[in-house]
Amino acid sequence: MSHAIDIDLHREGPGGLETEEMTLNMGPQHPSTHGVLRFVVKADGEVMRRAIPDIGYLHRSIEKIAEKVGYHGFMPYTDRVDYVSAMQCNQGWAMACEKLAGIEVPRRGEYCRVIASEFGRIASHLISVGATGMDMGAITPFTHAIREREYINDILEELCGARLTFNYMRIGGCAWDLPPGFAKRAIAYLDRFEPLIDEYDELISFNKIYVERLANVAPITAERAISWNLVGPNLRGSGVRYDVRRDVPYSAYPEFEFDVPVGTGERGTLGDCYDRYMVRMREIRQSCRILRQALEGIPAGPVVAKVPRTFKPAPGAVHVRVEASRGDMGWFAVSDGTAFPVRVHIRTGSYAAMAAIEELSKGLMIADLVAVIASLDIVAPEVDR
Amino acid sequence: MGYFENIRESVRTIFEGMAITASHMVRKPYTVQYPDRIDVRVQDTLPFRYRGLLDVDLEICTGCLACERACPIDCIVIDAEKDKETREMVLKRFDIDLAKCMFCGLCSEPCPTGSIHHTPEFEGADYSLESMIRRFVKAPVVAYKPSKGPETNPEIAPILKRGLRYLDEFASPGGAS
Repeated sequence: MSHAIDIDLHREGPGGLETEEMTLNMGPQHPSTHGVLRFVVKADGEVMRRAIPDIGYLHRSIEKIAEKVGYHGFMPYTDRVDYVSAMQCNQGWAMACEKLAGIEVPRRGEYCRVIASEFGRIASHLISVGATGMDMGAITPFTHAIREREYINDILEELCGARLTFNYMRIGGCAWDLPPGFAKRAIAYLDRFEPLIDEYDELISFNKIYVERLANVAPITAERAISWNLVGPNLRGSGVRYDVRRDVPYSAYPEFEFDVPVGTGERGTLGDCYDRYMVRMREIRQSCRILRQALEGIPAGPVVAKVPRTFKPAPGAVHVRVEASRGDMGWFAVSDGTAFPVRVHIRTGSYAAMAAIEELSKGLMIADLVAVIASLDIVAPEVDR
Repeated sequence: MGYFENIRESVRTIFEGMAITASHMVRKPYTVQYPDRIDVRVQDTLPFRYRGLLDVDLEICTGCLACERACPIDCIVIDAEKDKETREMVLKRFDIDLAKCMFCGLCSEPCPTGSIHHTPEFEGADYSLESMIRRFVKAPVVAYKPSKGPETNPEIAPILKRGLRYLDEFASPGGAS
């Protein structure tokens, strides 16, 4: 650990007794840290004085790999950037390459991308809300959320042949068209799934114990959320209505009608853990809305543009943004005209959220740290890449 | 909210949740008891596009090395040489290291005949890394040469038909990547 820990370790307690500050290690194999995360917790009894995130356990140097495998070959690796919602990572890389080479994606391809991404977003948010419940001690909602995610995995498996590492998108569009009867089955699933969201709400969101565990815990004001560079549902939970899909439109999103839900402070302070949780619940509904419009209005035509196998874009640097499940994901790629990119950088939402934890944790109970991690929806591989 | 109001609210919401949980006793379960207590093999229920273990039909492999070039992790190794006398491509080695393979499907897309393809098989566990390397060429074979018209050889025609159907339904129609 290179962090300088400058808290006075010994203090005089009441009655002249010397008390010592306790250093606790939470993780890296802790079940509620959502992957391999480690926190060094400086605790005074039950109250944390500081929780220092220690990152790097899942570093796989994905950005460096891009420089070795070329533009087409890097696509399967983008699945591993954020394996809970791999579709949006696919899309980010494809969009970066398309911008480098100036490729136009066919409209049907854009619709296929939107359908795949929104299914991915629902699956990711289901994991997030289910895991929040489990971290708070409610195990049932997690099994229900995972069950519905299984159905989405089945749908995506039919679409692209894999359940987790999709590798569905290609530079210039998508790898495969929707299989026959896909739209019908997807809409049948949505018809069955949407009433279940109300059921989740009754099961857990309005549960008094659950609300008490999340409301008023670690509120983030809008100003602080912006200054911490929080993105996605974490930023919207603080009441900032900002969504890349709406404000920096890409793909086919301008053609769809959807709302951007924000936190309202309905059960406590604006921007607390409950607000961030509820934003995700409401985004699931909005994703269903986008999916219905996309499945019904999908145009005919090819799904992929003609792209040469040896892809050599003109020299230059591009930056594209996609709204991934954990917020604004930035893809930066530099080309020098050869078949391999010179530099690739990925900016992810979890990394910014991770940096906010040290400040947020001051004065919280240790059990609330779990609530903060869960509500910020940190996925460990996205932090390290 | 008062003290008793809090208690009432807690009890009410807990029982609401319990009612939903209890209702699942009569709903259809989703879990399947893999691997023995199922009616159909899981492999048979998978969609056509499922990307399982790789297989190669050597009869229709043209030895064009497109799959070897497409693989981002170099798990495919092919030795193909042109015979000086007969002027035919001879495949001496076609190895796929399934321990390295990440099942991305990039190799099966550029294949002109659908020779290299994913199967719905996924049970590939083994005791050593050495045995995960599938060596498809036992003795050097002459590579397949696509004929101008439809395939007439009755031994190859059904294999080629299957390969082309695989290309139609699986690989991208636009010819990307």
